[in-house]
Amino acid sequence: MKKIKIGPHDVGGEKSSSISIVNEDMTYWEKYANALRIVVSSKNIITLDELRYVTEQLGDDYFKIDYFERNCLSLHNICLNKNIYDLETFEKIKKQKKIDFAIPIISLPDSTKITHMHDDKEHSHQQEDFQEDETGEGPPDYYYNTITIADIMIKKGLISENDIHIKIDQFDNVFPNRGKTVIAKAWTDNKYKEHLINNAKEAIRDIGIKLETFADIICMQQTEEVHHLVVCTLCSCYPRTLLGMPPSWYKSRSYRSRVVFEPRKVLEEFGTIVPNNKEIKVHDSNADMRYLILPPKPSNTDNWSESALANVVERDYLVGVRLPE
Amino acid sequence: MNQKFKINQSIIVDQRNSDGHSRTPGYIRGKVGKIERICGSFPNPEQIAKCHPKPDILNLYRCTFYQKDVWNNYLGNDQDTIELEIYEHWLLPNN
Repeated sequence: MKKIKIGPHDVGGEKSSSISIVNEDMTYWEKYANALRIVVSSKNIITLDELRYVTEQLGDDYFKIDYFERNCLSLHNICLNKNIYDLETFEKIKKQKKIDFAIPIISLPDSTKITHMHDDKEHSHQQEDFQEDETGEGPPDYYYNTITIADIMIKKGLISENDIHIKIDQFDNVFPNRGKTVIAKAWTDNKYKEHLINNAKEAIRDIGIKLETFADIICMQQTEEVHHLVVCTLCSCYPRTLLGMPPSWYKSRSYRSRVVFEPRKVLEEFGTIVPNNKEIKVHDSNADMRYLILPPKPSNTDNWSESALANVVERDYLVGVRLPE
Repeated sequence: MNQKFKINQSIIVDQRNSDGHSRTPGYIRGKVGKIERICGSFPNPEQIAKCHPKPDILNLYRCTFYQKDVWNNYLGNDQDTIELEIYEHWLLPNN
């Protein structure tokens, strides 16, 4: 069989380590970088596929740099290629951004008179002590790139600062709740459940949720016979406007590579045991569809209201890595 | 839009290299499966990636594959499947 050349991003089937199943919270820099990328692609300034293509050219560097740094680097390279700005302009603005961000070291009125204890001995306070405290952990370098790209695009009228902040807010407060609302409705209304399974995009729209995305949604129902599980082996496709940001493990190399060929082992790492006689369907979300898994309704919730049920819907159920008790 | 493939038809994913960006994962190229559903038509991502002014509109199919047909020594149920979306220009009829 002839050998196929594939990019560094195409990891499905690779042997890899166990999955770190703890979802790491996003820093503000990451939220900003994410929002900028979404705004730029939703306004068609730079498409998702252009970004993916450039990211895939990173070769060995692909997994050496952090997810958001990688996105930012691709965005920057495309901006240069498309003459959205030139390198000189970029560096000049970035330099200014760094200056704007620097926090001055505050001098104390008379620092030599302030003393503190070190190794049981009294010392006078020196400026270095404060310098350490005041600078703390600053943003990573790519954040300056991100805000520089944003600044140039805003000045050119391509996007607005408000666009970015609306996206950050939606990712924090709106999108993560939508999927929960949909599932709670399906748990309480059989007709709605059928509609959701037959035409998820329409069913979601019918309850007033506007997904603002070109992608289609497909809903798969967990049953006694079949366990469904979602992955994107090529990048991190995920129904973001329905579920919010994908958890960090969803974007990890080990999840993306292993789920496709050893789903039971991966599920076990999440504490989900699927017996060998139950069928597993893995959905690689590799193109224009996005997936929502409908979990079984938890037991002992017979007379619960929709809003009470929405509170017990967990994100992991909707990707298929865990099942309600 | 006219579709080249029907639901349940046996297909084989073309075993070729992609010229740049592609949404057909390497692990599924050359594998035999069948059409699960027709997802509609979408602009060719390979052309969008290179800023083609008028990308081709292609049919997109969800295809289902038995895991045992995709991986050597798959450990698990023979009925386990993997499903993914393949654009029409990557599919060949499996006669």
